[in-house]
Amino acid sequence: MSIMNYKAVIIGGSAGSFQVVTKILSSLPKTFPVPVMLCLHRLKHVRSGFVEALSLKSNIPIEEPYDKDQLKPGRAYLAPANYHLYIELANRVALSTEDVVNHSRPSIDLSLITAANAYREKLIGIILSGANKDGAFGLKKVHDCGGVTIVQDPNECEVKTMTTSALQLTKADFVYTTDQIIRFLQKIN
Amino acid sequence: MTELGIVDIREIIRAIKSIYNYDFGNYALTSFKQRLERLIIRNNLSNAESLIKKLRDEPDFFDIFLHEISVPSTEMFRDPSLWRWLREDLLPSAIEKCVGQYKIWLPHCVSGGELFTLMIVLSELNLMDKVSIFASSISDKSLEIIREGQYDLKKIEVSTENYIRANGTAAFMDYYKLDRYYAFRDPALIANVEFNKLNISFDNAPTNIKLILFRNNLIYYNPGMQDRILSVLNNSLSATGHLIIGIKERITGVSSGKEFEITNEAESVYKKRIIG
Repeated sequence: MSIMNYKAVIIGGSAGSFQVVTKILSSLPKTFPVPVMLCLHRLKHVRSGFVEALSLKSNIPIEEPYDKDQLKPGRAYLAPANYHLYIELANRVALSTEDVVNHSRPSIDLSLITAANAYREKLIGIILSGANKDGAFGLKKVHDCGGVTIVQDPNECEVKTMTTSALQLTKADFVYTTDQIIRFLQKIN
Repeated sequence: MTELGIVDIREIIRAIKSIYNYDFGNYALTSFKQRLERLIIRNNLSNAESLIKKLRDEPDFFDIFLHEISVPSTEMFRDPSLWRWLREDLLPSAIEKCVGQYKIWLPHCVSGGELFTLMIVLSELNLMDKVSIFASSISDKSLEIIREGQYDLKKIEVSTENYIRANGTAAFMDYYKLDRYYAFRDPALIANVEFNKLNISFDNAPTNIKLILFRNNLIYYNPGMQDRILSVLNNSLSATGHLIIGIKERITGVSSGKEFEITNEAESVYKKRIIG
């Protein structure tokens, strides 16, 4: 079975998500057909090092986009330190320095909400391990817009708060282990 | 939560254009939508229609609208490495070389975070009397808040950490007093700042400026407007002037791309390109 007609994947994570994201990125085909947005909580004042660390094993190139950059298939875009990452219409990134949401900038909720508005039912939203409830509201928005929602199996998460909060607010389409998430994404074409 | 659709946003833009002749059509859509939704909640309104009614019925509210639609700076000494570079590199040497006052312009102040940060650095460098500072805002409300020194208590902790990372030479707490709801920054720091109100097309800009601090403002406009604003800023700069924008902002516009060259890539510092 192949999964068609999706335009973007967006992954939100916090504490305990780094290894999971690394594993996902190392398992995607080099010609992954859509852009992957990564909204991961990180230190506000540390600007460099994160992309480099994620890139070590990734099969697709990762960058921290500049404002209004065009999103391209087969590339991953990491929310830069101390900016919110929005998806603007016409497949562009928009960055913002608006107030923190759930103590976070980047906020996973804001990335998911704006991506859901831009891609509607053609978005796949994924919530991974994390220590606060950021992302729960955004995942509901993805669901309400008709997109696919995936939550990492809380039993597998290093920190469960983020995934259980998401599951309390939305009945996710899939509750998957890391390996199942990877197999799902590999079927997108 | 009030969610605005594209049609609502267009209606709001059209109403403001017709009542106040301000054009928000060049604002980046996603952040403008977030700001409008937040503004509707903060002012106990329910939807686009009620916002338009208030704008129509209460002319004084438009200034508050201009303040709240603008995004304040995140915290003081954001990007400590930039402030370190300004403190240890650019400011002392550029001011020493400058004949006459070294003019610095902050074109869009909302909360005064960047302004007070700059003034602390200049004060610690003992260079306050060699500079002229111009601070602009699109709203009287913003200017009032800045003049009072009012500052969000929640931002004090991160600002203090940033100040230390930026090699501040005093104690950050010496620069503000605590109140129940706000911190108030020392007004002596901005005593000699020249404030003025700017309209959103930036057409009354000061000239012969040596340094423009315009960080994380371009992100709130669409690429065409970014380009136009950058041309205005370019005209404001003296031949040896510098422009500093946000770390994740870039100058790529059709005209502005040719008008600036980068001098410090890590900190997004540009200088005016001398043609010829």
